[in-house]
Amino acid sequence: MKRKILRKIFGTLSFTGMLFVFQACYGAPQDMYRDIYIEGVVKSNKTSLPLSGIKVSVSNNQTSILTDEDGKFKIYTLPAPELLLKFEDIDEAQNGMFQSKDTLVKPNNKAVFITIGMDAK
Amino acid sequence: MRNKVSLYFFDRFKQNEAQIHELRYLFWECTQRCNLNCLHCGSDCVSDSSYKDMPFSDFLSAILPLKNVYKPDSINVIITGGEPLLRKDIGACGMALRENGFRWGIVTNGYAYNETIHKKLLASGMGSVTVSLDGLEENHNWLRGNNNSFSKAVRALELISSSNRLNYDVVTCVNNRNIYQLNELKEFLIRKNIKAWRLFTIAPIGRAQHNGDMVLGTEQLNFLMDFIAKSREEKNIDVKFSCEAYVGAYEKKVRPDYFFCRAGIHIASVLIDGSISACPNINRNYTQGNIYKDDFLKIWNQKFQIMRERSWTKKGICNSCKDYKHCNGGAMHLWDEKQENILYCIHHQITKA
Ligand code: SF4
Ligand code: SF4
Repeated sequence: MKRKILRKIFGTLSFTGMLFVFQACYGAPQDMYRDIYIEGVVKSNKTSLPLSGIKVSVSNNQTSILTDEDGKFKIYTLPAPELLLKFEDIDEAQNGMFQSKDTLVKPNNKAVFITIGMDAK
Repeated sequence: MRNKVSLYFFDRFKQNEAQIHELRYLFWECTQRCNLNCLHCGSDCVSDSSYKDMPFSDFLSAILPLKNVYKPDSINVIITGGEPLLRKDIGACGMALRENGFRWGIVTNGYAYNETIHKKLLASGMGSVTVSLDGLEENHNWLRGNNNSFSKAVRALELISSSNRLNYDVVTCVNNRNIYQLNELKEFLIRKNIKAWRLFTIAPIGRAQHNGDMVLGTEQLNFLMDFIAKSREEKNIDVKFSCEAYVGAYEKKVRPDYFFCRAGIHIASVLIDGSISACPNINRNYTQGNIYKDDFLKIWNQKFQIMRERSWTKKGICNSCKDYKHCNGGAMHLWDEKQENILYCIHHQITKA
């Protein structure tokens, strides 16, 4: 405890603004930003079966990932008051063909869980 | 006067931090395989390493107990190699780290970095990247031993700099072939919208001492310091000297803060064979334990004395150095197993003139 108080005193008096912003020679910078976590499952509206290989993208396609064999996906992305998630069937006829879908989510904390249904083409 | 006061308190801050030794930066040498053959490679990597890639579950189970003591998002796991992108499971490893609360980033030569990997790593919670670029095309390709390495590293940088999520920088190994090209390289990076650039040098030790192209002399080192100091004043790009050395009168002019070798104080590593150490470029005789037989957290809490209490470094040229109280015996990575003398001192080299 005493050492943590001293840390504050010495840090302030050293006039060094970024006491813990550092990186080693062969290392990367530190990640200081916030992110949010989105998790979900994609299913067929008709059969309720999970859809694998659906491309899920956020933040204007800056981040994307494919759903796994259980139709599940997980994505970390930059937080925003509203996030537009795009769902696209990019493997053509492999497990049926589905119409693309956009969904707007409003994350109010650090994680969002959603279920998405897609219609056949 | 203000400088003296701030330096005095920064020295006290360093001593205090060595006592607290809060882990904030953890290297994971996940592979020793590499897709390039660089002249200055900082690790012992080889294109076909005898060490198998470390199973991620081994690394994760070693570091999970950290969550009992630290907020995991105060710890940055830096995935390094070798070339980490040669691991097919790198996204899955990152995702599992982030799901456990840790933050993570990678150090890459950019050769295998493409749009698919970029998006996958971002989705997996990657927060930082460093890409190596060792000059303009000809020099970079020479140092990296590959004619496509420049274009691929630039492609990686374009992707990385387009992301608002990433904290990233470019790192350049300054040598005698690229030093007088630094201005051009700076202009190139600014045109590419790169925000941060870190420069480091090669110490005349190991195989580098036999390569006249790699090691900078006094004149070049002073040129480099002036170049960085001037670029920092211009503020067009955040240029800084790496953490590698105390630089006397250039302190705080070439970096936002004073020299502080944080090895074993804020920095640890898990190396390819399970060794627990600090920065991967530190002599492997300074290994403090091994995750395959020791408890990582216990080793971090109870060992690393040699890095936290450095009065033993007051020997050889450091013994008579008037800057010892600020430098504290320099960089851990410049001490060998004999511990008789620091292998090289940039500050002395700079002031030789
Ligand atoms: S050992 Fe070297 S790379 Fe690591 S913190 Fe110290 S000076 Fe930096
Ligand atoms: S001689 Fe030692 S203490 Fe002095 S500046 Fe060089 S490394 Fe630091």
